[in-house]
Amino acid sequence: MKLKNVYLILLTPTLSISMASFSQVPADSTAADSALLKQIEQQMQSNSQPAQQPQQSRSTLSFNPDIGVIGDFQGSYISKGNKNFNAYLNETELSLQATVDPYARADFFLSFARDPETGKYGVEVEEGYLTTLSLPAQLQLKVGKFREAVGRINPTHPHALPFIDLPNAYVNYFGEEGLNDEGASLSWLIPNKKFYQEIVFQLTSGLSNSPSFYRGDNNHLLYLGHLKNFFTLSDNATLELGLTGITGPNDSSRTTSIAAADLTYKWKPVQMNTYRSITWQSEFYYGHANLMENLSINSFGLYSFLQYQLAKRWFLTGRYDYAQKPYDKNIVEQAYSLTGGWYATEFSKIELEGKTTDDNVAKRFYQAWLRWIFVIGAHGAHQY
Amino acid sequence: MKNKLTFFLISSMGILTTVHAGTIKVVTTTTDLKSITELIGGDKVSASSIATGYQNPHFVDPKPSYIIGLSKADLFVTVGLDLEIGWSPQLLASSRNTKIQKGAEGYVDASQGIGLLQVPTSANRAEGDIHIYGNPHYWLDPLNGKVIARNIANGLERVDPSNKSTYEANLQAFFKKIDDKIKEWQAKMAAFKGTKIIAYHNEWVYFETRFGLTIVDFMEPKPGIPPSPSQLVKVIKEINANNIKVIISSPYFTTSSSDVVAKQTGAKELTMATSVGAFDSIKNYFDLFDYDIDQLTAILK
Repeated sequence: MKLKNVYLILLTPTLSISMASFSQVPADSTAADSALLKQIEQQMQSNSQPAQQPQQSRSTLSFNPDIGVIGDFQGSYISKGNKNFNAYLNETELSLQATVDPYARADFFLSFARDPETGKYGVEVEEGYLTTLSLPAQLQLKVGKFREAVGRINPTHPHALPFIDLPNAYVNYFGEEGLNDEGASLSWLIPNKKFYQEIVFQLTSGLSNSPSFYRGDNNHLLYLGHLKNFFTLSDNATLELGLTGITGPNDSSRTTSIAAADLTYKWKPVQMNTYRSITWQSEFYYGHANLMENLSINSFGLYSFLQYQLAKRWFLTGRYDYAQKPYDKNIVEQAYSLTGGWYATEFSKIELEGKTTDDNVAKRFYQAWLRWIFVIGAHGAHQY
Repeated sequence: MKNKLTFFLISSMGILTTVHAGTIKVVTTTTDLKSITELIGGDKVSASSIATGYQNPHFVDPKPSYIIGLSKADLFVTVGLDLEIGWSPQLLASSRNTKIQKGAEGYVDASQGIGLLQVPTSANRAEGDIHIYGNPHYWLDPLNGKVIARNIANGLERVDPSNKSTYEANLQAFFKKIDDKIKEWQAKMAAFKGTKIIAYHNEWVYFETRFGLTIVDFMEPKPGIPPSPSQLVKVIKEINANNIKVIISSPYFTTSSSDVVAKQTGAKELTMATSVGAFDSIKNYFDLFDYDIDQLTAILK
């Protein structure tokens, strides 16, 4: 037992220190002790290969980007159809992030995702963009493929959201993948000393696979403008109001326009911000799709959620969805969902969500999901 | 036409950058760095801190409103060693301010030259929230305050060389005051050398080492992991075995688990200040140690 303990200590990374103290074993130690020590030393030598001196300057002296891998494992249930239960590694996201040079930084997010239809995994560049750090006049330019600046949900990676499924209205307009397109984004920090104001203008190719937009065989591109207003109400409370306008080509080679507004109130006491918080976030979407000479469809959708942090690790989120189908505003979906989350650490969380959906054409159905998000390596900061 | 426009843009930018409001604008991540900046910069600087003195510096929310100050700052001062990894890189990247990016003249990593403690020999998150470069709570040793002050003075002199003599004079005055005060603090703490205590989070190692205390264990089983029942049992045993009188904590941790342990053992709970501004009476870096040492010695008597 004693031997085992000593042996364990030696195997820890304090290897060299332990070795040094061995050479100073006092002369009056008994012969039995010396034999024991010799034996341990021999065992150590044979085991010393894997216990090499650790490299302390892991990232200090390397130009390698910060690398992180996020796993998203899910189980799901749906009350309709024949295949009710499922379990899958929904996504594996690889992030590579670093400063390019004194003028720019680069961020890549590669997604190894499972196609829900075929069950096959494929790789795609979820995002890959360059951001300037040195433009004058409070400007910042981003080029590449990026999640576009539609309110709050779209720019956020799904694993960072406080629920597992996406709001119905959002999916109707932008799809499960969100509005994620290739092009350029120019943002301007408005020189306003009273509160934070930013204007973003994005011009993209329109190639993204979102339900609302489709790039045909012409030069019709996708334009997006977003105004973000952020107010500090007190040390503990903030309010964000965003307005978004998008216009681009649809699959009828005509134009679809979407107006969106987002409103987010957060209460997070500065002193105890890791224990208690409340977030109330809502987004409103209004779509205008011109499909034929004399045919346009207007539709509306919204979601609103309230997240309450019960304790350091426990979160509860309730959400309401209202969505008119963009192709037929007479089909209206309404859904309620409740998500409980247990955040083990900053690097792992487990969430359970239940949802009920009604629409005026089909029977009510129920869904449930369980997901476990886990991160290794570098973990980039989340948006506030 | 194009040339004229370019000329106009460049010249207007030149005006924007050369016309300071008279003072050097400094944004620091924490209040301790702000206090030292003010002591070194005097009336030549206007400093603001992103974190307050009573919040956990690991977990500051990167509110966009902080970007307003950063976008106009001449100097940015950070504790470094990944203490602010969860929030400051994102704010810096969004600031659109080239002057204060890492590696630029206006970027000060206050940890440069600090004799670091608890530098891990392996980077393994099974050990909790460990910091791969070493324990980042180094400002809690007043002698490290001198290193921080030197780093800040270097930064101020880089961005504002015309006032170098002022900064150097203030720096020497700061050094002298630290040297005077450390004698006073150490004299007060001398009677408690080797005293065993319990701490909530592993953030006192520099304070502990300077003033000769011995932290036996933490309420957190591992850094960043909330106290578990088994850890409380372990701590209660340690308190009883070592006749420990006090559990020290910080303003941003709940007291519920310490309450349980205190009730079981009779040990007292003490919320110490980890930063300037933690309590209203702590106005500067010297007040911080005055407060903590007075509180601690009163309870250990």
